[in-house]
Amino acid sequence: MKYHVLEKEQLNCFIKSLAKKMKVVAPISKGHGNYVFGEVKSADEISLNYVPTILPPKKYFMPTKEKMLDFDLSGKEPKDTAALDLEEIAIFGVHTCDLAGIQCLNIVFNERPRDYNYLLRKEKLFIIGLECNKYCDEYASCTLVNSHLPNGGYDLFFTDLGDRFLINVNTQKGEDFVESIDLPKAEPKDMTALEKLREEKKKIFRNEIDVDPKKIPEMLDKVYNSKLWEKVGEKCLSCGNCTNVCPTCYCFDMEDFINLDLKTGYRLRTWDSCQFETFATVAGGENFRSQRSMRQRHRVYRKFKFPVDKFNRFFCTGCGRCSRTCMAGINLKEILKEVAEESKF
Amino acid sequence: MDINNSNWRIRRGKIIDSKQMTPSEKWFEIALDEKELDHEPGQFVQVELFGVGEVPISICSSPTKKGSFELTVRAAGRVTREMHKLEKGDFIAIRGPFGRPFPVKTMVGNDLLFVAGGLGIAPLRSLINYVMDNRREFGKVDILLGSKSPKDMLFSDEIGKWGKRLDVNFACTVDKAEPEWKGNVGLITSLIPGVNLNPERTYAVVVGPPVMYKFVIAELLKKNIPERHIVLSLERHMKCGMGKCGHCQIDHPKNYYCCKDGPTFTYDEVKDAKKL
Amino acid sequence: MSKEKKVLTKPKVAFFDFACCEGCQLQVANLGEKLLDLLGLIDVVEFREVMSEKWDKDYDIAIIEGSITDHHAEERIKKIRARSKILIAYGSCATLGGVNGMKNSFELEEIRKYVYGDKYHYFDSMTTKAVDQVVKVDYYVHGCPVYQPELVEVLKCALRGIPYSVPDKPVCAECKLNENCCLYDKGVVCLGPWTRAGCNSWCPNNGNFCYGCRGLVKNPAKNAAKDIIARYKLDEKLMKNKFDMYNKAKEVSDESKK
Repeated sequence: MKYHVLEKEQLNCFIKSLAKKMKVVAPISKGHGNYVFGEVKSADEISLNYVPTILPPKKYFMPTKEKMLDFDLSGKEPKDTAALDLEEIAIFGVHTCDLAGIQCLNIVFNERPRDYNYLLRKEKLFIIGLECNKYCDEYASCTLVNSHLPNGGYDLFFTDLGDRFLINVNTQKGEDFVESIDLPKAEPKDMTALEKLREEKKKIFRNEIDVDPKKIPEMLDKVYNSKLWEKVGEKCLSCGNCTNVCPTCYCFDMEDFINLDLKTGYRLRTWDSCQFETFATVAGGENFRSQRSMRQRHRVYRKFKFPVDKFNRFFCTGCGRCSRTCMAGINLKEILKEVAEESKF
Repeated sequence: MDINNSNWRIRRGKIIDSKQMTPSEKWFEIALDEKELDHEPGQFVQVELFGVGEVPISICSSPTKKGSFELTVRAAGRVTREMHKLEKGDFIAIRGPFGRPFPVKTMVGNDLLFVAGGLGIAPLRSLINYVMDNRREFGKVDILLGSKSPKDMLFSDEIGKWGKRLDVNFACTVDKAEPEWKGNVGLITSLIPGVNLNPERTYAVVVGPPVMYKFVIAELLKKNIPERHIVLSLERHMKCGMGKCGHCQIDHPKNYYCCKDGPTFTYDEVKDAKKL
Repeated sequence: MSKEKKVLTKPKVAFFDFACCEGCQLQVANLGEKLLDLLGLIDVVEFREVMSEKWDKDYDIAIIEGSITDHHAEERIKKIRARSKILIAYGSCATLGGVNGMKNSFELEEIRKYVYGDKYHYFDSMTTKAVDQVVKVDYYVHGCPVYQPELVEVLKCALRGIPYSVPDKPVCAECKLNENCCLYDKGVVCLGPWTRAGCNSWCPNNGNFCYGCRGLVKNPAKNAAKDIIARYKLDEKLMKNKFDMYNKAKEVSDESKK
């Protein structure tokens, strides 16, 4: 493991050097306690202490609207060309929950048949993580799913040691950049400080709901027909906020658009949500998840049951976004507690 | 990794024949530029109408038929209505084939009972014709068909031929008869008790509208056919065909992707689903 | 796909206004370059705001703005419908009844007296109706005013003869993707959670709340409103009033159907 050190007052130089090479995005404040990942040119625009952004960094991996195809109907036979718009972007300040989210998406889009659009775009992204030394707020449940600590998935990873950042270098790409700006190597005292910080974190970060995470999938097996889903469904607006903001939700739709010449056009892949009324409706009109309760249950199973069976991991990163964003106050931690309670019977 | 060889790659072809079967169902025969679709019975393709959209359609021809494949399309939504305007000679593009086919290999050597309702005959026909072309490989074959009325019956010429074969037991019924109809009248479930079968060595393959499954399966279970011998093809809105977009996931504790884990399932796999 | 393309004459398109502020026509006039592209595809044969010519034959597409608020208008829209192959209702007044529907919160006689004084019977008036409460509508472009990109999308669909489906999901779905600060976080009542999307959350993008001008989604979450009111300590009456601003005309008709 390679570590380098960056003095805090040097952060601006770091960002500016990076911005010379590629577009840099980082958390910036939107007011009212809201943050977003957006382009920055200097360090003073960045909110280093931020509550998870409205949308997770998945928006750079799978854009909300992604062109997949260009077509031209003007000739005798239509022409079509696969489209792929790529941009080199450095994403700075990615919390460990969001790193876990990116890892989940990587697994999904790497599963055969693989999604080339996603995989090729991912190669253009330079990921710089940032450790949370304390909780962002009461919605987070990162310790439950063990995403409060770094588990890879980044090129560089920053840990705030007070007056300086300790930078863990995880890839050659990361190494090349750190070398290019001559960052000093970490000394033993830096490593001791890191160890001390991690010890401190153990005291702060504790299983948020007091439920053994390993047992959640089997608990869910028992409560599939429980009334608790109806209670959640009663509150649900079917607005799709919980899935849009989720770092591991990847459901999508495909839509064709035609230009005003009515001859040329393109196909977009757009984000979709299993919470929308029409999501599971077929052309004949039958809706296979017609109740809000079914859709909310589906969401929870897609985080804690289905991906465990399939990929052996949770697709919840504990970021808390779904609960934070729900206007009606549907709270994932509360749901899990109820699942644990109900599954006892 | 070349984006032009992506799994979203579009395969181009021509409609070499088409026929309006009923006011709402149209049949197409398609030849791809690269000749063979290379599918198995029970699979589907995504039909591409540039500027309108994509739509999943079951393949209704058997892979034993070479050089082209066939689709039967019901005009139900924006893309399928637009598709009905296509004729012989028109360009067409597809993605696929996709999906888990019918478990043909495990069926070899066993008796087969086919039950199709309405448009369900389309995906089932890919298997029935496969079985007809490999008739020696299978035991006794029973075919039960149901449709709303005699004029709604799809593939009536071909059905007539199945009915005449000595190596096939055939019965059909309509919900509502017309004066000249001499056959059965009633729901398809009424045909099942009359079938003479050995449940342990019978595979029942059932395809039809969602409402049909519950009642047909109940009849089949009464005949003691094991749950894992009842094979269904489920309808969902597959948008990607690759087990990713999420639309076709089944409301079931196992959250199967209908496009990849299905569309064919054995009844024991999906019996916990709220709706089949 | 190829058949429609062979038609050489451009479709004849007419714009009509009923009870409205003509703001949606202004949106059309303000389409800029897109308008020039559109004019390459269609023949505008009537458009009161920009031309004085009239057309005496049938219309391929009639584009209707405004709600139906008196008997004369009711007859006129029926005649337009009879002469039109395709009819598009655009703007909240036409698609929902819109702000004109607020009239329906009162007894008709009373409100007529209030507005026109004792000579009110000289001024014909009736319960406000959306266009589809009088004649069949083929395409809807909701909004007050219409959202230009959606209007263009609908016109493209109409010209190609394929249906356009108004998104049946709440405005939040688009608002969230635009990463707007939730209006409720700012302590403001917003109708986004119940209002049909399709405007790309135009108002919240510009710091405003959603007025519900596009009408409600097919299955609005009524129960959840109570949870929101409780969570953000809001005034229930204020919320109800906001709903009525655009949705009153539809509400009356829905109730009379029951």
